[in-house]
Amino acid sequence: MTNQPSPIDLLAIRDIFNRQNIMLCFNGPITAPLIEEIGKALRNHMEGLQESPSSVADVFSVYIEMAQNIRRYSQAEGFEHEAATIIISRNEPGNYVISASNFIKAADGESLLERISQLEHMDKDALKAAFKTQLRQPRTALSGSAGLGLIDMARKATAKLRYSLQPLDNGRSLFSLRVIL
Amino acid sequence: MNNLNLSQTSSTPSILADWSKGIVQMKGDSYPENSFELFQPLIDWVQAYLATAGQPLHLDLELVYLNTSSIRSMMDIFEQMEAAHKKGQMVSARWFYDFANERVGQLAEEFREDCTFPFTISSKPR
Repeated sequence: MTNQPSPIDLLAIRDIFNRQNIMLCFNGPITAPLIEEIGKALRNHMEGLQESPSSVADVFSVYIEMAQNIRRYSQAEGFEHEAATIIISRNEPGNYVISASNFIKAADGESLLERISQLEHMDKDALKAAFKTQLRQPRTALSGSAGLGLIDMARKATAKLRYSLQPLDNGRSLFSLRVIL
Repeated sequence: MNNLNLSQTSSTPSILADWSKGIVQMKGDSYPENSFELFQPLIDWVQAYLATAGQPLHLDLELVYLNTSSIRSMMDIFEQMEAAHKKGQMVSARWFYDFANERVGQLAEEFREDCTFPFTISSKPR
C-alpha cells in the first residue's frame, strides 16, 4: 500500500465545532468580499436566534474590526495569500466569543503585545478617553488605519482581551486574539 | 461645487450632499475596507461648502453601524462643523436611529459630546 495522506475526517472536525460551540468559522486567505459575506451571514444567523440588536451589533462590530485589521496588515506586509482564522463561538455561560489568528512579523508582534497590554490596565472610562485621543491623531500620523480597532474591541469586551504570540522559525509569529462579549 | 450623490450598498451608506439646500444626508451602514477613500470627497465637499457657500449647513444622518475608520472620518466632518460654528456659522446635525438598537444612540451621543452646535439625536421605531 502506498503511503497516502489520511482523508480529512469531517466528522471529527464537526465534532470539535459542536463541542466548542462554534457558530461560524473561516480559515484561509481573507478578502474584502469574504469579510462582507461572512458578516452578513453572521448578522442573519444572530437575528434568526432572536438576539437583541445591541448584541448583534457588538458581535458584528468586533468581527469586522478583527477581520479588517488582519486584512489591512496582510495586504501591507504581503501576507495576503496566507491563511487567517476567524471563529465565532459561545462559551459556557453563553457569551459570544470572537477569536482570530494570523501571521505577523516577529518584531510587529512585540509592539502589538505592548499596545494590548497597555489597554489591559484601563477601565471603561480610561478606554473611552484613549479612544477619543486616538480619534484626534492627525491623519499624517496614521498609516492608512485609524488605530482605533483594538481600543474599540476592549471597550466592547466584558472580560480582558486574551492574546498570545507564538514565535515561528521564519521570523514570523502567529498572533491570536480572543474577545469575549 | 457639484452635488454628491452616492447610492447605498451593503457596506457603504448613501451620501447626498446638496449645495443649494445646504444639506448632507447619509443613510445606512458604513464599513468599507477603505473608509478614508469613501469619505474623502465628502470631507472635501464640506470643507469647500463651509469656506464658500455663505449659508447654513445641516447634516441629516440615519447611519447604523460604523466601523472605526468610518467613525474617524465622521469625526473629521464634525470637527470641521465645530470649527465653523465657533466662527459664527450656522451648522446643525440630526441623527435618527432605531430605538431598539441602542448602540447607534450611544455612538451618536459620543460624537455629540464634543460638539457645541445644535445636534439632535432622535430614536424612531422602524
